[in-house]
Amino acid sequence: MWKYLLRRSLYALFTVWVISLLAFAIIQLPPGDYVTDMLEDLRAQAGNVPPEWEDRMRQIYGFDDPFIVQYFKWMRNILLRGQFGYSFFYKRDAGEMIIERLPMSFALSLFSTFFVWIVALPIGFYSAVRRYSIVDYTASFMGFFGMAIPNFLLALIILFITYRYMGGAVIGLFSKEFADAPWSWAKFVDLLKHIWVPMVIIGIGSTAGLIRTMRANLLDELNKPYVETARAKGLSETRLLIKYPLRHALNPFVSTLGWMLPGLVSGEVIVSMVLNLPTSGPVLYQALVQQDQYVAAGFILVLSTLTVIGTFISDLLLAWVDPRIRLQ
Amino acid sequence: MTENNNLLEVYDLKVHFFTDEGVVKAIDGVDMNVANGKTLCLVGESGCGKSVTCRAFLGIVQKPGRIVSGQMLFRQNDHMIDIAKMDPKGQEIRQIRGKEIAMIFQEPMTSLSPMYTVGNQIMENILLHTGTSKQEARERTISLLDQVRIPKPDRLVDEYPFRLSGGMRQRAMIAMALSCNPTMLIADEPTTALDVTTQAQILDLMLELQYRYGMALLFITHDLGVVAEIADEVAVMYLGKIVERADADTIFNHPQHPYTQALLRSIPKITMKREELDPIKGMVPSPFRRPSGCNFNPRCPKAMSVCREIVPSMTQLGPNHTVACLLYESNIKDRKGGE
Amino acid sequence: MKRQKPDLATNNEQNETQESLKLEVASQWQLMWWKFRKHKLAMISGALVIAFYLVALFSEFLAPNVTTTYKDTYATAPPQPISFFYEGKWLPHVKGLKYERDPVSLRKTWTIDEEVVVPIGFFVRGDAYKLWGLIPSDIHFIGAKNPGDPFYLFGADIIGRDVFSRLIYSSRVSLTVGLVGMVIALTIGILLGGISGLVGGALDNIIQRLIEILMSIPTLPVWLALAAVVPIDWPALRVYFMISIILSLISWTGMARVVRSKFLALREEDFVMAAMLDGCGQTRLILRHMLPSFLSHIIASITLWIPGLILGETALSFLGLGLRPPVVSWGVMLQDTQKVAVIARYPWLLAPGGAVFLIVLTLNFLGDGLRDAADPY
Repeated sequence: MWKYLLRRSLYALFTVWVISLLAFAIIQLPPGDYVTDMLEDLRAQAGNVPPEWEDRMRQIYGFDDPFIVQYFKWMRNILLRGQFGYSFFYKRDAGEMIIERLPMSFALSLFSTFFVWIVALPIGFYSAVRRYSIVDYTASFMGFFGMAIPNFLLALIILFITYRYMGGAVIGLFSKEFADAPWSWAKFVDLLKHIWVPMVIIGIGSTAGLIRTMRANLLDELNKPYVETARAKGLSETRLLIKYPLRHALNPFVSTLGWMLPGLVSGEVIVSMVLNLPTSGPVLYQALVQQDQYVAAGFILVLSTLTVIGTFISDLLLAWVDPRIRLQ
Repeated sequence: MTENNNLLEVYDLKVHFFTDEGVVKAIDGVDMNVANGKTLCLVGESGCGKSVTCRAFLGIVQKPGRIVSGQMLFRQNDHMIDIAKMDPKGQEIRQIRGKEIAMIFQEPMTSLSPMYTVGNQIMENILLHTGTSKQEARERTISLLDQVRIPKPDRLVDEYPFRLSGGMRQRAMIAMALSCNPTMLIADEPTTALDVTTQAQILDLMLELQYRYGMALLFITHDLGVVAEIADEVAVMYLGKIVERADADTIFNHPQHPYTQALLRSIPKITMKREELDPIKGMVPSPFRRPSGCNFNPRCPKAMSVCREIVPSMTQLGPNHTVACLLYESNIKDRKGGE
Repeated sequence: MKRQKPDLATNNEQNETQESLKLEVASQWQLMWWKFRKHKLAMISGALVIAFYLVALFSEFLAPNVTTTYKDTYATAPPQPISFFYEGKWLPHVKGLKYERDPVSLRKTWTIDEEVVVPIGFFVRGDAYKLWGLIPSDIHFIGAKNPGDPFYLFGADIIGRDVFSRLIYSSRVSLTVGLVGMVIALTIGILLGGISGLVGGALDNIIQRLIEILMSIPTLPVWLALAAVVPIDWPALRVYFMISIILSLISWTGMARVVRSKFLALREEDFVMAAMLDGCGQTRLILRHMLPSFLSHIIASITLWIPGLILGETALSFLGLGLRPPVVSWGVMLQDTQKVAVIARYPWLLAPGGAVFLIVLTLNFLGDGLRDAADPY
């Protein structure tokens, strides 16, 4: 058990490290850097710019250093000072922007995860137990529907419907009067009124997948000999289903969190942009387009780290629910 | 009927499986009875319907199978109750399962759930059928584990099944089956998955416990060696029908049905030479295309032309010996004319 | 002389194994086909998928217009429903269009003019095109009989291009971007998965960790980051391949896992053991014995997997980081719909979304059917 946990946490740490390298490398890929952009702007405004300015600026920003040095400085600042660098585009601290946007992203992903679980578990269970029933067929159909529709398209359609028939598009996470207001109960209620739209949109694809996984797992379990043993004991069908197949199917269910999270975060990024939510998506997009490298790398790093942590938690949960892992 | 010593009397039991490809008549008119405290061995090739038969007794035939007709009279407090009439999900039959009739399965590796401790799964049966407290149930479980000779039962009670060997798991299964003092124990090939030495230990244990608990034992196997060792009575099954039944002595020394005879010829004996092994010719026919007349006729060395036309009925050969074969039916002509 | 004998023997052996292999494979595919045929939904989906790809193949011929044709007079014209009879007589036609100008915003609002009949026909002459860039022609499968008449089955976009024609043209890019990506990802996946499953040991461990890491990264941000790197001045074709590569870079992991687990399972199989004991070479063992036995699985996985790539391309292009005009793909077409106001006024611009939905749905059904058929259990 402890060995398992230790190994898992080492993997998680290693993964985060590789991701940080990748994130930083990807951001460095484009030809030119922010200085090129700035100079272009300057030239457009002021005509000629002395060439030595360019080198000077590169020096100031540290763009002249080799990749490893830049990476090392970047990591050192994050780890030791919690500083993610500077946003050239927004002219402010990148870390601040992350802190501003991340909690909402996190909340949205969390809500979506719960939505997926709460919907997928009972439906998957029922579909497996009452195979080929109307509910099963409906669930399969909805499942395929949810898998086939791109989430941004669903977001667009919901926007369209709410705009056309409900007198105003559901955009954002807050009503106008709460957008900049300090946290209060009323603001929280307002958030709940808005969050279900992105929550459903982001979650629907994963829900579809999870219902199918759940159903397939349970169908597998329903024919296992231990179910027959339990039936031969005289356990009632309901108690039996809950105690054995459902309990067994929970293991893969818990481990799905690992593969679900990256998808949910991806969905969050694109849906946030369509629905214009105050989460990380729109800022990350801007940063990528504007080559605002510290902001982009910071967001990618933090989002990925969160998913890795989520996966790690699902590993812990798995060890908790499955004695075969706990006692290995 | 209540005068005799029968614990279970089965008349014309039929279990059919309704699949997409057609109806499979897995059990097609089985008559048998199990005497109190005695051991009945149900013998036959794989797929002949042995396992389905014993599941029918508990009403746990799996979908798409269903008991279509027949009676299964089970003695409960000196009354005969018909299990076949009970709702397979109902309260009534659930009070028989695990309490009056307990069952042990073939695969000890998978018959216990790896998610719960051995103790949990045995206690479940006790708590379900008796009004004891958890503490009492636990103590009873430990004593049961001790009875099936599991070492350190007070520790193993909290162990998970996947940490036990196959033999130990089967012992745990036996302990579970015995936990409510059943009057009948059904064992569906309980030793097939075990190695030979463990097999012998488990068999000995079961016989000993059968004697101690005074249970009837319905033992399902395809291993005639095991049958010779433990059976009081033997029923031979072929394609969903009982073809011959008698006490063990008669079956082994004076088998009458050609199938029983062939089955006995096909067991290797140590004294035999290699060439003497005599398998039954032909293959088990597809469940969808049962032969007409006697099921065994395509493979039967003594088949007659009538065997393709008439379904044999049970003929009494001795006080305790019946066989379903046209060789022993005197009035074939009448039946043929009658049809 | 002495050497010949063993050679003969091995030849015989080879012939034998080859023959038995052929038999085996044939029966396996046949079994699959039988099982697949029972899957009605998968059969229908299979036919639809083929239809989709045929449309992509003959898009120049099938589309009433070429992609670049625009008539700004008819900008934002609504879809004109098609009917085949007029006053009881056979006359395929659509109804004409009329507009009103909003006195304040001066915006034109098109509506269907029930009075005007626009006769349409099959195999009509229209825009000149070159089929596959080679065969010049101006015959279109369907179109207005008088080239000047408006004919917008799915409406017109903001600058007056025919949505229907563009939809057909887009299928070529949208349906193949997944295929190209798939080929790349499949190669990486089979290669690494194969190495992982066959060699095992430390190499397997490293590859598995790599896969785990890649799988735990949220794909979209990385796709966005990579796509943002593609220089704006690149030619369309290069961008197209770049996007395929980007899409496949992360998604090979799933395939690698499937291949690995199959190899691991196969290593234990009797027939592989038998081939190994017969002195079968490693390459031969893999190519002749192992690969065929899970080819069906790979085909099924591919079918379930292309949808992800199609969705990925659509998402990237929708955000403006994937393919760019003048290339048309469903994602590029959807760029127009980023504003609620636009969708609300011209909902037919969402038509490419419908196409994406349909192809992803049918591929999923097809893949499901294939997977069930490929699974012997």
